[in-house]
Amino acid sequence: MYNARKTLPYRTEMYRQLKRKRTLFAYIFVMSLPIIVALAVKFGTSGNSTGPTRFGSGTADLIGLATKGAANFTSTMFYFATPFLLVAVISIFNGDTVASEANWSTLRYLLAAPVPRTRLLIQKLKVSLTLSALAVVILVGTSWVVGEIAFGNAPLLTPLGVTMQSHMAIVRLLIVGGYLSINLLTVAGLAFYLSVATDVPLGAVGGAIGIMILSNILDAITGLGTLRNWLPTHYSFSWFDAFSSTIDWTQMIRGASYAVMLFGILIALAIHRFGKKDITS
Amino acid sequence: MKDVTDLGFRRLVKRAGVVALTIFSVLTLSVSGACINSSIAATTAPEELTLNGAGGVQLDATLFIPSTTPAPAILLAHGFGGDKTSVASQAKELAKAGYVVLTWTARGFGKSTGEISMDAPDGEVADTSKLIDYLASRKEVIHQSSRDPLVGITGSSYGGAVSLLTAGYDTRIDAVAANIAWNNLQSVLFPQNAADKAATGPYKKFWAGTFFSIATLPNSLAGECGTFAATWCQAFKDAVAHGVPTADEIALMNASSPSSVADRISAPTLLMQGESDSLFPLSESSATARAIHAAHPNTPLAMIWHSGGHDGGVDESPRLNQATQDWFDKYLKKKVVDFPQFQVTNTNGSISLVDSSVIPKFLQADAFPNTSGTRQIPLQTPFTALVAPIGGIPAAISSLPGVGSAATALSIAGGSAAFLPGQSGFLESAPLTSPVSIVGSSTVSVKISSTASDATLFFSLVVRTPSGQTKLPNGIVAPIHVTGLSGAGSVFSITLPSVVVDAAVGDKLAVAISTTDQGYTLPQDGRMYTVSTASPLTIPLLEFRSSASKSAQLVWPISTVIVILLSAFYAYIRRARHSGKPQVDSNALVSVTNLSKVYKDGYQAVSNLSFEVERGQVLGLLGPNGAGKTTTLRMMMGLIFPTEGEIAIEGKPIYPGSPTLANLGSFVEGSGFLPHLSGRENLDLYWKSIGREDDPYIEEAIAITDLGSALDKKVRSYSQGMRQRLAIAQAMLGMPDLLVLDEPTNGLDPQQIKAMRGVLKDYAKTGRTVIVSSHLLAEVEQTCSHVVLMHRGKLVAFGPMKKILKRKGKAVANLEEIFIELVGDELTIGLNDTLQKKTNTLLAQLLQKGKGN
Repeated sequence: MYNARKTLPYRTEMYRQLKRKRTLFAYIFVMSLPIIVALAVKFGTSGNSTGPTRFGSGTADLIGLATKGAANFTSTMFYFATPFLLVAVISIFNGDTVASEANWSTLRYLLAAPVPRTRLLIQKLKVSLTLSALAVVILVGTSWVVGEIAFGNAPLLTPLGVTMQSHMAIVRLLIVGGYLSINLLTVAGLAFYLSVATDVPLGAVGGAIGIMILSNILDAITGLGTLRNWLPTHYSFSWFDAFSSTIDWTQMIRGASYAVMLFGILIALAIHRFGKKDITS
Repeated sequence: MKDVTDLGFRRLVKRAGVVALTIFSVLTLSVSGACINSSIAATTAPEELTLNGAGGVQLDATLFIPSTTPAPAILLAHGFGGDKTSVASQAKELAKAGYVVLTWTARGFGKSTGEISMDAPDGEVADTSKLIDYLASRKEVIHQSSRDPLVGITGSSYGGAVSLLTAGYDTRIDAVAANIAWNNLQSVLFPQNAADKAATGPYKKFWAGTFFSIATLPNSLAGECGTFAATWCQAFKDAVAHGVPTADEIALMNASSPSSVADRISAPTLLMQGESDSLFPLSESSATARAIHAAHPNTPLAMIWHSGGHDGGVDESPRLNQATQDWFDKYLKKKVVDFPQFQVTNTNGSISLVDSSVIPKFLQADAFPNTSGTRQIPLQTPFTALVAPIGGIPAAISSLPGVGSAATALSIAGGSAAFLPGQSGFLESAPLTSPVSIVGSSTVSVKISSTASDATLFFSLVVRTPSGQTKLPNGIVAPIHVTGLSGAGSVFSITLPSVVVDAAVGDKLAVAISTTDQGYTLPQDGRMYTVSTASPLTIPLLEFRSSASKSAQLVWPISTVIVILLSAFYAYIRRARHSGKPQVDSNALVSVTNLSKVYKDGYQAVSNLSFEVERGQVLGLLGPNGAGKTTTLRMMMGLIFPTEGEIAIEGKPIYPGSPTLANLGSFVEGSGFLPHLSGRENLDLYWKSIGREDDPYIEEAIAITDLGSALDKKVRSYSQGMRQRLAIAQAMLGMPDLLVLDEPTNGLDPQQIKAMRGVLKDYAKTGRTVIVSSHLLAEVEQTCSHVVLMHRGKLVAFGPMKKILKRKGKAVANLEEIFIELVGDELTIGLNDTLQKKTNTLLAQLLQKGKGN
């Protein structure tokens, strides 16, 4: 009759989340970035038509670089989306997932159904991580398509002057997307933990974004020295290494490992906390 | 009460822990701060000295003494045009690290007397021997014998060359660290990169002029030669006039070159050279290393190619100073320091997103460049034709002395000034099919034919990208000057510049040839050249590892796996464990035993509650707000953990996720629906979520909702009554044996309340059980067969409804009085008649009160 393993199936939870307006808006939010940038560059008056300026000279003209074809446009979108956009979207997906159930009072009915508590978290996490990964995929896909339409296809030209042909560029962009997805596990884990810790969805989402912004600010303070290596956002731009002709994996290995580590710890804490929590929502 | 104190105690321990941690970290920070402060304050004030050099020259010197003596000594030489103050900060650092450091102003500069003789053996080198004598007289310096102090020597550029030369001439030197020094002045000033011994290379006039003026302009009152020695001044004039050195001048340059004494150097030697250096290029350090190794294979040697140099580049002084200190620590203090044989900075890596500056990558190897294998890359361009303009103007600009390369490794702008049309050509490879990293010098053979009998050409290794850009690494070119060309052309082997460059797939490697370069003396007659490919391009191979060793790379993933396993283990052992609880010995459907709940804030919501519910009953849980009804129901649903006691359904204890709960339908404290979905979707999804595979009785449930067409509208648009009915329908999905409803009639209109009563009674008639909580007498009176009366978390009365209501209406003197009496008692509603009476009266009054609300 009752089978705990059939409670809250992945497909059901996915349907519950996909039908939400905020999911749609989050994806529109992601898709709007490349579209807005492309329109601004294409029809903007102060467009830099002379192309990218020299890196290392202090004038990084990423927009100029972005106009050099789909691959370059996509890599620039990665750069723009890394510090905030993806953090925000992934915070929404993972921070809102449990807290919103508490907020709607549906959490108690699911738990009394009963969906075992750990299973509820794991099922929710599976879905929120899928949605998060989808956000990265949508960012890459939209950027590529928009870049292709607006600026055509051209070899990837990295800010350091390395040129990569299409197939190579795609491999590198996939590495970047993959690294970025792993690196964002930190945000996902943090938001998810906060989602379990509070009944207010906005608190969990805002908390996660806030901590990430704080970490970014601290990371910019060079006086903190090697302490900065332990900030959750310290390795968020390490995917830049994937754009040199021979990839130095050191920073990416560290960044990915650290992210997975933090994710594991945060999820363990979330499961522990949720397991012994009195559900009063 | 025991629990409350226990909880308070635990919180106290937690807080104490936090306070202790804070104090601990503050202490640690202040201690480490104090350590830094003390080490800064450790050195004593430096001594200003005037010391005797060779041949009566007076040297302006400063001696830095560390806090602990005796210590090893370091001679720290300054660069060309500077004086002892330009190395003062490095001297202080070394003194802080525990070395006696002697800095001095070289002869001919600053306050020192004498003439500049370009690190001549009887000039500057003899001076340093005198300085070693002086160090031997100081008791602060560790001595190996009475005249032999333990001493290392270091310096950059001019100071680097004097370091190497001194190590060659004075055996008392125990360790050398030379930065951006020359190996051979002739090969630097008249570079010749073709295998033609008959001719010297073109004169590097721009750099030589810059060098000369640095020393002469500040002392122009002393004449056109400034403080330069006459021989050197004359050599400079000759070079400018003729572009070719005489035999005497070659001897003069040779004497001032470490190459002349490299075979005598047996002290451990660290060679540092800059990638951004068109004056003393990377090949100078390679030449020195080769010579030292050839003469003394056991001499410890290490080499660092950094991204700085005379052209500027990226300053790595802090890192190089640290490396220098490590080198001396290793060979003067005999500390165990892991020092890689070869380190190179690759600037073709990442850029900072803060200020777009290059973030260098540090690579290490266990061999020097050009020592471990080569790779042949065929060149596809058969030949290129070039023009040398009359008078050598316009000339290409590859680098600007002291300013930097005109076309840096990072330049991605096409058509740089380094390659003028008509005057330059490229011998290109096919597009690369795999990435290539070149560290060191490549070679190529070319056939050169000319309209003249000699040729002056500038070779370089460039990377040409598919988008048409040409990258000239650090603007370094290799000039050649060959003579005696035959009419059909002669073949020469060309050594291309030592560079650090990466080429990606799709890029082409190319040998670039230019007929002009602004930095050099050029032939004044116009010529035509044809340069043909005579061999594939030979590039050096070197096995690199990232400066973090392979094992360090693995540390991260391994620790990640460990952390994940620990986290999983933690989550596993700390999970709430319930399944081991024993079966409760009771035949009732629901048995509540000694149930208590104290919330985290210390509020006791339920205390010592016990009652039983049999099948087929409709039980009313009755009490005013705050009586603990909802808390009890939540515990029954496994949402809240009882502090003490337990609830069992069919004898099986309830815990979060216990399978017994599958047979319990609930509605507590309002509805819970996904607002963005319709009522029907909500029911459907809820059923799919609860893990039951039997009949959901969906039609019966829908009938209860009485929603009609509104069932397909979004729940967001529902009124409270509609949500209420939908929630009760949701609770009844699958017809569970036990239905728990909290205030089910709130928000319903009278007809619906009446219908609901019928539904609940019918539900119980099927042998199922309903528990209804309410604060309204009428509600419970008309629906329930049994009643539990609660007040302030305690059981006040429990029994069949009819029995309890029998004495309703009897007058009671004072409500509060009875309350106090009851609460003060043991709270067991036993068979004591008096007590029973009192209870029932109280109940009646309570219910009346509830009605009044």
